[in-house]
Amino acid sequence: MTLKTAKKVLVSAALGVAAVGLMAGSAAAEWKPKGPISLMIGFAAGGGTDTQARLIASELQKRKGWKVIPSNVAGRGGALMARKLKSLPNDGTAIGMAVTESFGYNMLASKNPGYTADDFTYITTTTGSQMGLVVKASKGWKTWDDFLKAARAGTVKFGGMSQKHADVNYLLEQKYGVKFNTVILRGGRAVMNALNAGDIDIGYGAGIQAKAVKSGDMINLVSGVGKRIPYSPNAPTLIELGIPYDIGAKFIVVGPKGMSADARNTLAAAFAEVISDKNSEVNKFVTARYTGPDLISGKALDDFIKNGLKESKTLMSVTN
Amino acid sequence: MGVLDHVWLGVLAVFTAEPAFSIFGLPISITLVMVFSGFVGGIVVGATPGLGGPFAMAVSLPILISVFGFTPDALLPVLGFLVGIMKGSTIGGAVPAILFNTPGTPDSVLTTFDGYPMTRNGQSGKALRVAHFSSVTGDTFSDIVLITSAPFLAIMVERFLDFPEKAALIILSLAFISAVVGRSVWKGILGALLGLFFAYIGTGEDGYPRLSMGSEELGNGFPLVSAVVGVLILGEVFKSMEDMWREMRERSEITMIEEKGDNKLRLADIRRILPFVGLSAVIGTAIGALPGIGSVLAATLGYASGKKMYKGDKSFGEGVPEGVAATEAANSSVAGANLIPVLSLGIPGNVSAVFIILAAESIGGFNPGPTVFRVIPDQINPEMVIVFGLFTTMICANILNWTLGGIFMRATGVMVKVPKQRLLAVVLLLTPTAIYVQNTDMFAIYFTLFFGFIGYLMRKLDISVLPFVIAFILANRLEEAMRQAFSATGGNPWFLFDSPISIAFIAIAVIVVVFFARNKKALG
Repeated sequence: MTLKTAKKVLVSAALGVAAVGLMAGSAAAEWKPKGPISLMIGFAAGGGTDTQARLIASELQKRKGWKVIPSNVAGRGGALMARKLKSLPNDGTAIGMAVTESFGYNMLASKNPGYTADDFTYITTTTGSQMGLVVKASKGWKTWDDFLKAARAGTVKFGGMSQKHADVNYLLEQKYGVKFNTVILRGGRAVMNALNAGDIDIGYGAGIQAKAVKSGDMINLVSGVGKRIPYSPNAPTLIELGIPYDIGAKFIVVGPKGMSADARNTLAAAFAEVISDKNSEVNKFVTARYTGPDLISGKALDDFIKNGLKESKTLMSVTN
Repeated sequence: MGVLDHVWLGVLAVFTAEPAFSIFGLPISITLVMVFSGFVGGIVVGATPGLGGPFAMAVSLPILISVFGFTPDALLPVLGFLVGIMKGSTIGGAVPAILFNTPGTPDSVLTTFDGYPMTRNGQSGKALRVAHFSSVTGDTFSDIVLITSAPFLAIMVERFLDFPEKAALIILSLAFISAVVGRSVWKGILGALLGLFFAYIGTGEDGYPRLSMGSEELGNGFPLVSAVVGVLILGEVFKSMEDMWREMRERSEITMIEEKGDNKLRLADIRRILPFVGLSAVIGTAIGALPGIGSVLAATLGYASGKKMYKGDKSFGEGVPEGVAATEAANSSVAGANLIPVLSLGIPGNVSAVFIILAAESIGGFNPGPTVFRVIPDQINPEMVIVFGLFTTMICANILNWTLGGIFMRATGVMVKVPKQRLLAVVLLLTPTAIYVQNTDMFAIYFTLFFGFIGYLMRKLDISVLPFVIAFILANRLEEAMRQAFSATGGNPWFLFDSPISIAFIAIAVIVVVFFARNKKALG
């Protein structure tokens, strides 16, 4: 078999799988929500999760004729929403949107979160964050070293969005012999506002900073994900700095546990359809701000969550 | 994108929204239709003794939200409707005050002093026209002050206030509201603390639902709409029902007194009343800008200063147009200025502002506060567009008020005949229904009834409800600001005394409380 034929076989096999998938999709499409779908957003209005959820909701309403009612249940990094969601009906009429951390690190770090990772059906991820440690350009710090110099000279206020960021800060403090005053803010929008107002000197941005960085108003000093951020090629990753963690989160849609496979697959397919359509508002949004559509669902998603839990436990055992 | 671009986008957002219908090929946007309906509804509700703007807002808000949905597109139509009600009800309140000696809203009590004597002299038409002219002038003045000052105040707040100062500012606002509202400062503070207590159930940053005693329903905290509508509206309904049951007084026959002579508003009349309108507009605007002091005090002060300024044959109280003008200009100019603390600080100062915040929180995508006026380079700040859209709806409502307000006002005299006992029953039925429409959860209704009972008890014990509601709204922001200030200062427990500005805020809070505690006691 030459390479070309191999390719052909592979392509036709892929097509076949896709066709079977499509048929399964059309069979699953018979599932319809019994009533309006309540879409609970684990973060405050105006942030990245909120914007995505609202764009998706109106698009689903348009395409599927489902009535999707978004509402913000903000607090504790998505945990408030998760706790509320877990006891709601698992017939697809109640779903929530948060970040993978809400079912990983944040949940483990909480004294009594009121839920476990097994309380949910994981429907799909939507996109991934390009987590960066971001400062205002007007501060005059061009690199991580510039920032370290300033941090050694005085105290700096460091804005994070969850306990995980505080833990990473602790590791940075240990490694570089500095001291930060770490403030936990409610979501990315709050971090951006605090940076702009000068209330904090540096903060974690999950992609909300993209436009400001591209326009030169802000600078990503460090990349929080496994690789460097494409539009900030000079910023080293945390791993390069000797902090061996990828703290990039993904946005995720979940339902209460025990959701039927029909409902789970139909919902995942519907979300995927909206997000991957290049003409949809939400596609433009996740492409401009985040890593573009990043759709993990089904078994792969269950494994992804399990793996995240394992990594978080390691991070916690290191810092405690 | 500069500020002016946002102003233009805001104006466009109002006029080019989804058209509801078109007149002669000119599409009329849904937002304008909502402003108009809110305005007309507001006049009718204001002219009905026993009902007021807050009732209309409480009943209509959940229904509007479920009609328009939870997208940012819903913000301007819904806010426009609320603005319409706010403005309509202020001028509506004067109608029964002038025609029947029955104030339609509490702030038009003083309008009866000169308005009703004018009616008895056959001058009801002129009295209504004077009331309308003064009201609209005061309102417009107030709006201009709002539109020009709020953005600058907001930018100052963002630039100069750090975490500790923001926490101190919220404490100062709560202290101020508690001190000025109601007869007793300590009862005001008690009300605010109760509001904080209920807001802290099931919320917060801890890893567990605090104060919920293991209950799943309490674990998520009380919905904002239940607390606000329960305490403000149902509490009032329960109290009014009890009052009616106790009084059971005979309703006096309502008779219409005929107009005679010249009832038009002449240029000479306008010249006579203009100084009084001007003075009262300034007083009302200044009072409106402070959180917690309502239009009743503005009307009282406006009337009193007008009385001092007045030199004429007949004195105030015998049916002089200046008296009507001084009261109406003062109570109407509170409305616009009331939004200054909401939009620049995120702190609601009165009931209408509470409903604006409630609408913004429920729909999402708009968080009233200093950050809405932030200019993001090369980017549109959607919240700033909404604010300027909101200003545009206010200007539209003013134009409606100038042109059509007088006509609608004079037509609503019949509303006084609506029996209060039936109105209350309708409100009692509509309020929980509206809450259910928005939340589709029976617990939201139970909570609303519970808060209604609390509102009733507070009224019985003479504890003002406004500090309770405003504290409930600000509670989580206060906790967040305190936690952030604590960690930003490196775990300093004295963070409130960390900078001169926050020390000043706390000092003023203490001074305000002590000052009002002494003076209110002196007043008896």
